[in-house]
Amino acid sequence: MSLLARNFSKILVQATQTAGVRSLHSSLPSLNETGISERPDTRITCTLIPGDGVGPELVYSVQEVFKAASIPVDFESYFFSEVNPTLSAPLDDVAKSISKNRVCLKGILATPDYSHTGELQTLNMKLRNSLDLYANVVHVKSLPGVKRRHEDIDCVIIREQTEGEYSALEHESVKGVVECLKIVTAKKSQRIAKFAFDYATKNNRKKVTAVHKANIMKLGDGLFLRSCEEMAKLYPKIEFERMIVDNCTMQMVSKPQQFDVMVTPNLYGNIVDNLASGLVGGAGVVAGASYSANCVVFEPGARHTYSEAVGKNVANPTAMLLCSAKLLRHVNLPQYGDMIRNAIEQVLKDGKIRTKDIGGQNSTQEFTYAVINNLKMPSRV
Amino acid sequence: MAARILKNITSASTRTVGSRFYSGEIKKCTIIPGDGIGPEISAAVQKIFAAANVPIEWESVDVTPVKGPDGKFGIPQAAIDSVNRNKIGLKGPLMTPVGKGHRSLNLALRKEFNLYANVRPCRSLEGYKTLYDHVDVVTIRENTEGEYSGIEHEIVDGVVQSIKLITEDASRRVAEFAFQYTKDNGRHKVTAVHKANIMRMSDGLFLRCCREMAEKYPDVKFEEKYLDTVCLNMVQDPTQYDVLVMPNLYGDILSDMCAGLVGGLGLTPSGNIGLNGALFESVHGTAPDIAGKDLANPTALLLSAVMMLRYMNLNQYASKIENACFETIKEAKYLTGDLGGKAKCSEFTNEICEKIAASS
Amino acid sequence: MASRVLLKKPFDLGKLVLRNQSTMSAFEIQHKTPLIKKVEAIPVAMYGGRHHVTMLPGGGIGPELMGYVKEVFKYAGAPVDFEVVDIGDENSDLDYALTSIKRNGVAIKGNIETKSESASVVSRNVAIRNELDLYVNILHCKSYPGVPARQKDIDIVIIRQNTEGEYAMLEHESVDGVVESMKVVTESNSDRVARFAFEYAKKNGRKRVTTIHKANIMKLSDGLFLETSRRVAKDYPEIEHNDMIIDNCCMQLVSKPHQFDVMIMTNLYGSIVSNVVCGLIGGAGLLSGKNYGDHYAIFEPGTRNTGTAIAGKNIANPIAMLSASVDMLNHLGHVQHAELIQRAIEKTICEDKIHTPDLGGSARSTDVVQRIIDHILQADIRPW
Repeated sequence: MSLLARNFSKILVQATQTAGVRSLHSSLPSLNETGISERPDTRITCTLIPGDGVGPELVYSVQEVFKAASIPVDFESYFFSEVNPTLSAPLDDVAKSISKNRVCLKGILATPDYSHTGELQTLNMKLRNSLDLYANVVHVKSLPGVKRRHEDIDCVIIREQTEGEYSALEHESVKGVVECLKIVTAKKSQRIAKFAFDYATKNNRKKVTAVHKANIMKLGDGLFLRSCEEMAKLYPKIEFERMIVDNCTMQMVSKPQQFDVMVTPNLYGNIVDNLASGLVGGAGVVAGASYSANCVVFEPGARHTYSEAVGKNVANPTAMLLCSAKLLRHVNLPQYGDMIRNAIEQVLKDGKIRTKDIGGQNSTQEFTYAVINNLKMPSRV
Repeated sequence: MAARILKNITSASTRTVGSRFYSGEIKKCTIIPGDGIGPEISAAVQKIFAAANVPIEWESVDVTPVKGPDGKFGIPQAAIDSVNRNKIGLKGPLMTPVGKGHRSLNLALRKEFNLYANVRPCRSLEGYKTLYDHVDVVTIRENTEGEYSGIEHEIVDGVVQSIKLITEDASRRVAEFAFQYTKDNGRHKVTAVHKANIMRMSDGLFLRCCREMAEKYPDVKFEEKYLDTVCLNMVQDPTQYDVLVMPNLYGDILSDMCAGLVGGLGLTPSGNIGLNGALFESVHGTAPDIAGKDLANPTALLLSAVMMLRYMNLNQYASKIENACFETIKEAKYLTGDLGGKAKCSEFTNEICEKIAASS
Repeated sequence: MASRVLLKKPFDLGKLVLRNQSTMSAFEIQHKTPLIKKVEAIPVAMYGGRHHVTMLPGGGIGPELMGYVKEVFKYAGAPVDFEVVDIGDENSDLDYALTSIKRNGVAIKGNIETKSESASVVSRNVAIRNELDLYVNILHCKSYPGVPARQKDIDIVIIRQNTEGEYAMLEHESVDGVVESMKVVTESNSDRVARFAFEYAKKNGRKRVTTIHKANIMKLSDGLFLETSRRVAKDYPEIEHNDMIIDNCCMQLVSKPHQFDVMIMTNLYGSIVSNVVCGLIGGAGLLSGKNYGDHYAIFEPGTRNTGTAIAGKNIANPIAMLSASVDMLNHLGHVQHAELIQRAIEKTICEDKIHTPDLGGSARSTDVVQRIIDHILQADIRPW
């Protein structure tokens, strides 16, 4: 990483030496001085799945902010739900739209314990499998102004989410005995391990921790762990460590600052995601994203529909707004992304407007307006 | 109390268990000191018990693996016999032997005594400040099946399948234990932790067994929560949970996490309830680096022993020792290194003994 | 020296692949690492439609040119994230660069200086090519209308064997005053190159493949190369195949270059021919080269000069590196972005005639880049 830094500074030095490079910016029209150079008619289309529970309210909040900042993104909205199968758009349509637009903003889908059709796969799983959204990334970071027990948490949890315990292969072999298969493959384990290391490389992270239970599940988790170990050898500049999942949860609640990037199989990832989200303020403030090779679905990091708050205008839109900021960054509109992120941080730091989950009394709408009021065009560097 | 449940459950088994619990009678208990710091902390516990005049006679056994008649390494028969005879045991930390070929001793013991439920009460200790106050959660974990069934195979090269096994019998057994435990210990609520939205059949079965059992205990409140929700809420507000019951893997993870909330495995006791007996243990590591230096913290093993006393209906002694222990930690005059103090294990032990002596 | 270095711990993943080659003697490179290497497939670094690409700025003008690439990519919205690896004097830097390319699969690079003249130090560029087994180099030489050049409308594809031949670097002084240099030609590599060339011709609607050789003198080595290409040509009856001797070829190139379509040749000839053609159409600063192996691809300016003399003067021609980046985008499948940048380049060069001094103009590098960016911003296609 020092390499990167060295190189950037090298370029910078050269740039200042050769005064000409400066003109790269200064001779651009004034619009460019903010770094925002989009023409009004160049717009990006993004698939939108409001989801269940408070999803639609949160998504509305995002749309409000986008409108206020006149961000050139159009939404292609689909009603997609497992609890309301009759109204839900067909999976194929949604998948097609996402693979066409390559980005999607998604609320949380409720997953009932029993499906109406006896189907073992949930709709969420089906969507993930059909798009091969194999890597779920949740960036858990302490936010300013959100008072929690732990300070300065900054870790990224990367979870494989197409195999493992979520294979939906279950059967009742004898009456009263159910077998549930957990599948681990070398290919997918390597893929997620590489994703984690590439993520760490790209984002200047120092350490990758593989979370496993290979002491008990010697073959399955063993394979996962081995894949990570092998991949680690390709990244000599990134530290690699292993941790057993139960120890990991314990460390997480006592010393979460020690973690940097974590790579986990499916179920453990779910646990660690939620745990870490809980540490920084709950499901309402943590953003996540699911990657396939071709597309990304941005969704809140901890998946809770919060259905008891539907229509009460009390849900915290922070997670969803952070998702949208990530989305903008992904589609090469980082200035807008930063703008939204800064506005959110400003609102949280001021602490005047807080939703219920972080100890305030304000409504979703008030929070959204506060964010809009704090939107600032990024100043020139 | 707990014995009663045991009786319920083991009604099928041939031996009755009640006769062992006439008070006043000296009872025999197997103690497995373990490795590393095990012997020191076991000695500390024995010393404290002696100070409290607990009517228990210890039978110390060694479980270093020996080569059995079949050529495999395993626990010595004498140890098995001892626990089988006494029906109750206290165990220090064991080193998991490195190398393949023989099962871990913990697993062997678990199998031998059919220890189907693991109970871990996690309570905030006054005097040892963590980020979480007023934690008082009991995790009850199914201990014989689930993800740890050990059935794994490589179907084709690079594809491993491991089977999570859930049976109705085991699920019902642990559910019943959870409700009975809740009732006996004056607790109010049982939360079943599951992931039935994803694993609809297997966790679904577990959940169904819990629901059925809940109907038999109308005075105990029952709720169902997703595993991820519990994780999320636990670190935000642990006080909303009381007794948690769950399958094997979740229990493993959650119990360690709860231990983390109150300050680590050095402070949490653990008990394993089985068909053929009960084994109480400290679940922390063997800490070979401080072994023999009189620095270890015996609290976990001591509290496990206290759990054991409660299990044996020796509640008076249990409370006496427990109070002395809590008091000592609260006063914070003699704390071991892991709690931020400078005292030696023996000083800590002596302090507890003095408190016990003072109270009686 | 070689033995000392070999003590260093090699990476494990496919031991063969990752041997610490740059620090081996020339002999060992040639004989201890089989030319066709066993490579364990590593998943491609593409996530959510964005690629990770290794960037080796190299020496001389490399870093400034890479700066322009990044700038242009930013405005074009190309979904590519660069992992910049600076190669210094340390061999470990080179190893890291190689590892990085192996992970990402694709790299864009400037020319890397090999400072040492000592026989024991392998050229960095060669080491990278050999280690990654990038057996073929493609240079698509196409005239830009509007650039002053001797010949108009040239469209030649030069395909060059990239890992063996005269560049095997097996040299020794057998007796005092007598140096032997070995040229290695293998059938397997010749076959790969020929097949690649014909496949390329077929895919891109080309009509003719010409094998360039010197088999009249080097009957065995170049003979083998020629034979192999003739044999492969039989599998592609729809494509015309002929051959030409290198000296004649050079003459023909400067007099009647339009007779050539796709050309294949061994390593040294490739170096000569590509420089000749570059000269014909306007200099070193315009063309980009592509290096392909079975698993990796590296994109670089077509003629391999570091341009240390003009570094930092803001006069280097950015077109070659930008074209390389366009090639890279095409390779990654971001065709729209590639087209966007390509069009902007063409407009700048051909219509606006903003030329750097090497093309006889007076514009600075940044002027060219600025105009390209302006064209990108005005373009009617805007993928993200």
